Amino acid sequence: MRPTPLSRLASVATLLLMMLADRPAHAQTTAKSAPTAADWAALAKLPDFTGVWEIGLGGGGGGRGRGAPPQGPSLTPTAAAKRKELQSLGREDNQTANCLPPGMPGIMGQPYPMEFLLTPGKVTIVIEAYTQVRHIYTDGRALPEDPDLKFHGTSVGRWEGNTLVVDSIGFSPLTELVANVPHGDKMRVRERFTLTGPDTMSIETTVTDPDVLTAPFTTTRVLQRHRSWTIAEYVCQENNRNFVDEKGKAGIRLDDPSGSPRK
Amino acid sequence: MRTLTLALVTVTLVAAGAREVVAHHSFAPFNMESEKTISGTIKKFDWTNPHTWIWLDVTNDKGVVETWGIEGMSPNYLGRRGWTKNSLKPGDKVSIVVRPMRDGSPGGMFVRATLADGRELRQSGQAVD
Repeated sequence: MRPTPLSRLASVATLLLMMLADRPAHAQTTAKSAPTAADWAALAKLPDFTGVWEIGLGGGGGGRGRGAPPQGPSLTPTAAAKRKELQSLGREDNQTANCLPPGMPGIMGQPYPMEFLLTPGKVTIVIEAYTQVRHIYTDGRALPEDPDLKFHGTSVGRWEGNTLVVDSIGFSPLTELVANVPHGDKMRVRERFTLTGPDTMSIETTVTDPDVLTAPFTTTRVLQRHRSWTIAEYVCQENNRNFVDEKGKAGIRLDDPSGSPRK
Repeated sequence: MRTLTLALVTVTLVAAGAREVVAHHSFAPFNMESEKTISGTIKKFDWTNPHTWIWLDVTNDKGVVETWGIEGMSPNYLGRRGWTKNSLKPGDKVSIVVRPMRDGSPGGMFVRATLADGRELRQSGQAVD
């Protein structure tokens, strides 16, 4: 039977009703529904995180930028004993010398820039060092009960006024809390990202870990915005001549310079 | 984690009174308390990650040409501080201060270079916007 104009209209109306019924009660964006024009427009009301950001003067050398407290984490007796044991092994370096990315929380302290991308329901952090990406879901979802263990864990975020608050759990055992301090299964990282000036951002990072820390371990980094910069490529395996062996002995391959990429 | 590097950077900052940042690995292979000046001719300049490498032909005490490998910060880091891939060219005569390898191999960590025209190259310094 050929559809009449009326039956066509009825089909369209039914389809529209189905689509409307499928939308969540609150117009909150989730991965299950396409963002609306209003969702995109709402981003304009958030603090301006655009541009490329780097830890202030001197780079911070992989630990922290200015403003970090000098004291280290307060360890449980077990974790302190473990650190002492690992230190006694005389490890000169860790697997980042072999190009394994540091994971959280160390990846946020590199002397390389990062960029924040705000889209409906999500903040993406593009990190130049080791070409890493963090995915932070701001669509209201909860953290998973039993997450797979990842270098950056699993992250959700929310806006508290002008501060982006990010909670992360579920970290790979290949990452460390700080040098020679392996984290426990229950490590949790809370980060507070706040603009503190026209081109400055503060990131306050608080690590809790009941198996390893006797008190929350908080550090603060200050980032500087560089509007004219772009994120550059960083392929660690391109020409990596550093290495660390199984015993933690660090070395350098000086052999065959003509074999390196740029002849 | 680069905390080990940080500790070493901190020690270095105090010891050398200068900013030296190597992001990717520890300073363990280098003698950070020592500086050595080597002079020669640029064979090749690797503008590569995670580190730049200067290959410098140096005539040793016995009159034999030896190629030194000198590790510097990455092109990403240096490129934001005034360097380019052409900062050093094959054939350039240059004098380079390094922190030498502990094991005596012909290599070291870059501290600063002086070119024949007097131009000086350093790694530290304020990032350029």
